[in-house]
Amino acid sequence: MKSKSAQISIALVCLIMGVLLAIQFKATENYQTDLIPERVDELTQKLNTVTQQKDTLEEEVLSLRDKLINVRETDKAMKDLQDELQKVQMAAGTIPAEGPGVIVSLNDSNLNIQPGDNANYSIVHDSDLLIIVNELKASGAEAIAINGERLTAMSEIRCAGTLILVNWTKIGPPFTIEAIGDPDMLQSGLMLNGGHLSTLKFLGLQTSVQKMENIKLPAYNGPIKIKYAVPSQYQEKAE
Amino acid sequence: MWVMIFFCLLVGLVLGFQLPVLLPLVYTKYMSIAVLAALDSVLGGIRAYMEESFDNVIFISGFFVNMLLAAGLAYMGDRLGVELYLAAVIVFGVRLFNNLGIIRRYLLKKH
Repeated sequence: MKSKSAQISIALVCLIMGVLLAIQFKATENYQTDLIPERVDELTQKLNTVTQQKDTLEEEVLSLRDKLINVRETDKAMKDLQDELQKVQMAAGTIPAEGPGVIVSLNDSNLNIQPGDNANYSIVHDSDLLIIVNELKASGAEAIAINGERLTAMSEIRCAGTLILVNWTKIGPPFTIEAIGDPDMLQSGLMLNGGHLSTLKFLGLQTSVQKMENIKLPAYNGPIKIKYAVPSQYQEKAE
Repeated sequence: MWVMIFFCLLVGLVLGFQLPVLLPLVYTKYMSIAVLAALDSVLGGIRAYMEESFDNVIFISGFFVNMLLAAGLAYMGDRLGVELYLAAVIVFGVRLFNNLGIIRRYLLKKH
């Protein structure tokens, strides 16, 4: 019975199968070529931050010249020193900070690992935290803490067996990264297509980014040892 | 008949590539089993069509039920820790080649 309806149903089923095949192709292909767009994004982000850095450096030169003039008129010098101290302390993470920002939560995949699956894909690594902290910094984060450990200029993020070391303190999942900065900028910097967070989500890890009106970060209260570096006179390169 | 099949498959592929759906990595295994089951059903349907024993209800229900059952079985196997999807791959793979062989023989006989 080579009826019309038989042909129609075969055609319809072929259509559905085509869609299924295409989705499957896309999924397997995407997983393999996911790295290339990420690289492009990485480079553009780098370029942006470098140009921004240049701009801020130029501004800094101008303000430093002003300060030089102020130092000569010693009255204003003390106040400038106080300002400078506070700024440097903020950058170093040695005073508590608060302000608007984002909270990034990361946790291991809650799916069961099956024989044959690579367990490395379903847990949060130290490198994941590093990349996300780096992306936050690239998007203008001014102060960052992971699970309450404030990141300083000399903080490390390092794998230590099943845990991660930050400021020589052991932390484990779930991870909470708090960052102070422009919440919109930070969020869009993290959610960038091809960014690391989307890769983690693709692998089935639990991630979330939450914008906050006010975050309070603790100060780094460990010892700061500077043994080898001494201040030196350096030639300013600005013209 | 053949032209129509390939045309529809092509339209489906184009449609699928245009759809903004991205399957998460964890589900690709089940999807691949479902696709295999669908392929088997389609070839079975074409074979039945050539044998003139085609039944619309059996074909359509077989397509969807096989697909869901295969994916569901693979999922259950994962929960149980048994690689049941291998069984589905073997069964559907053997049937696929069987059906292909029968279709080939019919085509050769016809021409």
